[in-house]
Amino acid sequence: MEEIIFFIFLLSLGYFVGSWVEKKHYKEIKQRERKTIHVPVVSFGAKQKIPSANESALFAGSVVMSADYFKMFASSLRNLIGGRVVVYESILDRGRREAVLRMKEQAIAWGATQVVNVRLETASIGNQASGGKGMFAVEVIAYGTGIR
Amino acid sequence: MVYKPQEIAENVNVTPVHPLVNFANLLGTVVLFSALAYFGLGIAANQLATRISPETEAKIGQHLLSTVSKTDSKFNSQQQYLEQLLASLQTSDPRFAIPITINLVDSDVANAAILPGGNILVTTALLKEAKSENEIAFVLAHELGHHLNRDPLKGLGRSLVFITLSSVLGIGSGNTDIVSLTGSLTNLHYSRQQESAADVYALEATVNLYGHGEFSLDFFERVQTKDKRGKLSVYFSTHPLTQERIEYLHKVAKKEGWQMTGEKTDLPNYINFTN
Repeated sequence: MEEIIFFIFLLSLGYFVGSWVEKKHYKEIKQRERKTIHVPVVSFGAKQKIPSANESALFAGSVVMSADYFKMFASSLRNLIGGRVVVYESILDRGRREAVLRMKEQAIAWGATQVVNVRLETASIGNQASGGKGMFAVEVIAYGTGIR
Repeated sequence: MVYKPQEIAENVNVTPVHPLVNFANLLGTVVLFSALAYFGLGIAANQLATRISPETEAKIGQHLLSTVSKTDSKFNSQQQYLEQLLASLQTSDPRFAIPITINLVDSDVANAAILPGGNILVTTALLKEAKSENEIAFVLAHELGHHLNRDPLKGLGRSLVFITLSSVLGIGSGNTDIVSLTGSLTNLHYSRQQESAADVYALEATVNLYGHGEFSLDFFERVQTKDKRGKLSVYFSTHPLTQERIEYLHKVAKKEGWQMTGEKTDLPNYINFTN
């Protein structure tokens, strides 16, 4: 009985706190995206000539996002059945947008007029190392060339 | 090409479904399948209990008996006596395909039980409490009745499926597994119908043996009238015998024309451990 109560406690902690944090994060992401919208961020520039500029520099933004207990439990259920892991989609979406924003904010502070050749990469952290148990965390890194 | 910055209006990368709805769907699917597996196992166990061959039952019994301690050699004379009594109770019923064995367990609580495979457990306290052979005969015949109706197998419930698999295929025969599966081995609870059928069988067997049914029910009547929390009460916690059931037995006896009066058959002294 105690285990069930503890489990429900963890589940509701994960759900209520987790969705509150997520809502807050999305609000902040949207606000920052609006604030930095004047600087273009493009994937253009790998095999093409980048726009002519005086200076260029590499900027990288990285973030590590973790799932809450509710998402982890829901995904373990999903693991039994298979299909789209809906609960993790928002974590990765937040991770990508946060990483791009961190990169972009650094570039703007440096004085970039645009960030070209932007790439995104993902790595999972801690999951395999502890035998599939424990934490689910994902690192998203965004990097690109800022020009001015 | 002119770059025109745009806000992300609609996010296609996150499925627009409420997490709780998604969770309910997942949980519902898993629970549904678990329930199906549970009922499937129940049906399989029921089928197994009625269709299993006596040889397989004996195998399962051997598997289980290794978890129960064997009779102490100091009870040899009592065990011999009980085995003779048991043999005289067993009619030439073809259903007794496997030999029934008796194990005496040294214990302060009066109890008797039958394990799958035809192993009857009798505690020494039960013998001490007995006032006549008729009483013991009824208890043994009651357990035989359970055996014939395959109640011990049915009582194992869903774990029967796993026990059968492990004893037939010889896999996972670690006793610890089976002990945990059948933790309440001697504590099997049978339904009212199962008990009643075993009672009727027991009364018929004792009537056949002694020519009458008197004194057979004394155990039960003694407990009904006086101490309800005495030493006998453990036997009745696993074999609850109500006044209703005693009356039912008398009714059956009347209907079948069984005589309910006759001579008492005394027990030899060593059975009661009185000498």
